[in-house]
Amino acid sequence: MVVLETKDLSYSYPDGTLALEDINIKIEKGKKIAFVGRNGSGKSTLFLALNGTHRPQKGQVLYHGEPLKYDSKSLREVRKNVGIVFQNSDDQIFAPTIYQDVAFGPTNLGYPKEKVEKIVTDTLEYVGLTHLRNKPPHHLSGGQKKRVAIAGIVAMDPEVIILDEPLSNLDPVGADEVMDLLNELNYFGKTIVISTHNVDLAYSWADYVFLMNNRRVISEGVPEEIFRQTENLKTAYLKRPVTLEIYEEIKKRGLAKIKSCPRDIPDLVQTLRPQHLMWVDVPPEVKEGDTINLGILYGEYAMDSMYEAINCRVLHIHEDGLAIVEMDRKALRAGSIGIYDTSRYSHDELIRIISRDGIECVGAMGKKSKLIAEENDLYIHVTSGVIDRSILNALSGQRCLILTHGGMVDHAMDRIKCYMEKSGINIPVSVANQVTEKQTNHL
Amino acid sequence: MTHILDDYAVSSPLRYRNNWLKLTVVAFGILAGVSSNSPFVPLVIAVCMSFATVYFGKVPAGPYFRILAAPAGFVMVSAVIIAFFFGEGEKLFSFEVLGFTLGVGSAGLNMALLVLARTLGGMSCLLFLSLTTPMIELFSVLKATRIPDSFIEISMMMYRYIFVFLEVAMGVKYAQTVRLGYKDFRTSFRSVAMLATNLFIRSWEQGEKLYVSMNSRCYDGKLTMLDEKRPVRLLEIVLTCGYFTLVLAVFYFTRGISFI
Repeated sequence: MVVLETKDLSYSYPDGTLALEDINIKIEKGKKIAFVGRNGSGKSTLFLALNGTHRPQKGQVLYHGEPLKYDSKSLREVRKNVGIVFQNSDDQIFAPTIYQDVAFGPTNLGYPKEKVEKIVTDTLEYVGLTHLRNKPPHHLSGGQKKRVAIAGIVAMDPEVIILDEPLSNLDPVGADEVMDLLNELNYFGKTIVISTHNVDLAYSWADYVFLMNNRRVISEGVPEEIFRQTENLKTAYLKRPVTLEIYEEIKKRGLAKIKSCPRDIPDLVQTLRPQHLMWVDVPPEVKEGDTINLGILYGEYAMDSMYEAINCRVLHIHEDGLAIVEMDRKALRAGSIGIYDTSRYSHDELIRIISRDGIECVGAMGKKSKLIAEENDLYIHVTSGVIDRSILNALSGQRCLILTHGGMVDHAMDRIKCYMEKSGINIPVSVANQVTEKQTNHL
Repeated sequence: MTHILDDYAVSSPLRYRNNWLKLTVVAFGILAGVSSNSPFVPLVIAVCMSFATVYFGKVPAGPYFRILAAPAGFVMVSAVIIAFFFGEGEKLFSFEVLGFTLGVGSAGLNMALLVLARTLGGMSCLLFLSLTTPMIELFSVLKATRIPDSFIEISMMMYRYIFVFLEVAMGVKYAQTVRLGYKDFRTSFRSVAMLATNLFIRSWEQGEKLYVSMNSRCYDGKLTMLDEKRPVRLLEIVLTCGYFTLVLAVFYFTRGISFI
């Protein structure tokens, strides 16, 4: 279903500068969409046209197939459903306290006081900022301000959330937290639209990409297609995502399978061709044609590896003790991924699970889980890119536990299953603290 | 970032106490201090309020006395002048300068001490309020006093953007300093002018952006007020009553008594 659509939309600023030219886009419900383009390519202006702030001189904006009307009642309706998070949080957060700022939207929608209070409390808990509710915004860090800005929009429960450069000026972990939040919102049915010039982000995150340059949309499609169009990327003053770049290079050297399109590191690892022949240092007593066990004899070989190299046949021995061996590899031991739902957190239970399952790597996803881990003095090995990292660690035989909460549990589960389907590798995955009869998931 | 009064107030534990109680305590202190004609009452008030701010309000003592030192310095100077020029009658001591006789009489000295004590008392009351009650709490008090909503809303936004612009101004000033913008009087003058122009334009732009962002969230002239219910606790009532009784007792027993 198409939520937002533009038809031949052109817009110029009051001073006559043309800012958008013949834009035709369709934004589908429930998708993760990225507008990629360099600074000044018209992304922000387009966003302001989508919620009716800028009225196009030519063409129109359609919301659910209906052309936008610019009277105040219809604008209210559109703006309630198309929320914009501005690039600079200070432009948006104007109330003296966090609570008041998040309450601003719901109050304007005319909700009664109790309802506003409930919405704000829930939203602040959702973004993990409950402890800062009475603070003035200038006491917050950049990442916290960004989450307040997002909370201000989420509190209005819009259908589409548009974020202008959501990760600008954020540190990697702060950025990751914002992306986790967006993924979670998307998982619960919100359409998320972002603008960015970070090709890596757009490539790994988006379902659908619009490439913008010079006031126009020059190309659109799924990221796998868009980021292969080197010419278009060049016109847009952008470059190829790093994952793709690395893949192309190892492919040229014959180390990777052809015709894949890895979007993240687990994908990239999956494209690697297994090695069959390798040089090994062997002791003098080994002869050609012998079978040796590399993994156990020469333990260093398989220390961090996912494979055990047993039954290697020695094909040829060089004078200086180097030998060419042919390997028959099989997985050393399967790692696993457990997911712990922190909305039913119990410290003792978690410690029990960690020791029972021999967990070697704990990751926390989402601000709430990180806060819980911090409060309880848990050591967290992975704080960013948690799902990818856990998949990679599980592939090399580690037992991982992901701490997360509510809907993110299902989201993580889906991501891992999706990887298993794509790669054909089976990783045991389960929710470590299953819901018992009496408890119900609150989200 | 430099600490400003509001920062102490935001992190003070007394912030979460009843605003009206604090206002009553402060108003009582100022009225009692002003209406007393012996310097003891304001001094008692000054000691009590300073203690309350530092001990209950957890404002670090060093910065507190530094803040208090500024008005205290002023009033010291005025007290010296008052001591010399007020009051007729017998001089306690005097000396001659260029043929004029300058002397301090007991009336003048009493007056000087009273002014000094009153100022300190009043200042410590006001500091108690401003160091334990951030602006954000006072907005709901303003609301209850039936000041028109628009005023409160504008002041709320002003409050917020003071900090945004303070940050911008400090950033610009720093950028100017590192490029020797304040190397002598002439350049400082020019730099300040540029800083002011820049801030003016930025605030203009910020206004427009704010308008867009508020509209995007369906602004229709309603802002939420923070009105947390903060019941007065028994201990607070006891302490306040104790303080009031102490001040009133001192007031009663020191009627007409002066230092000299």
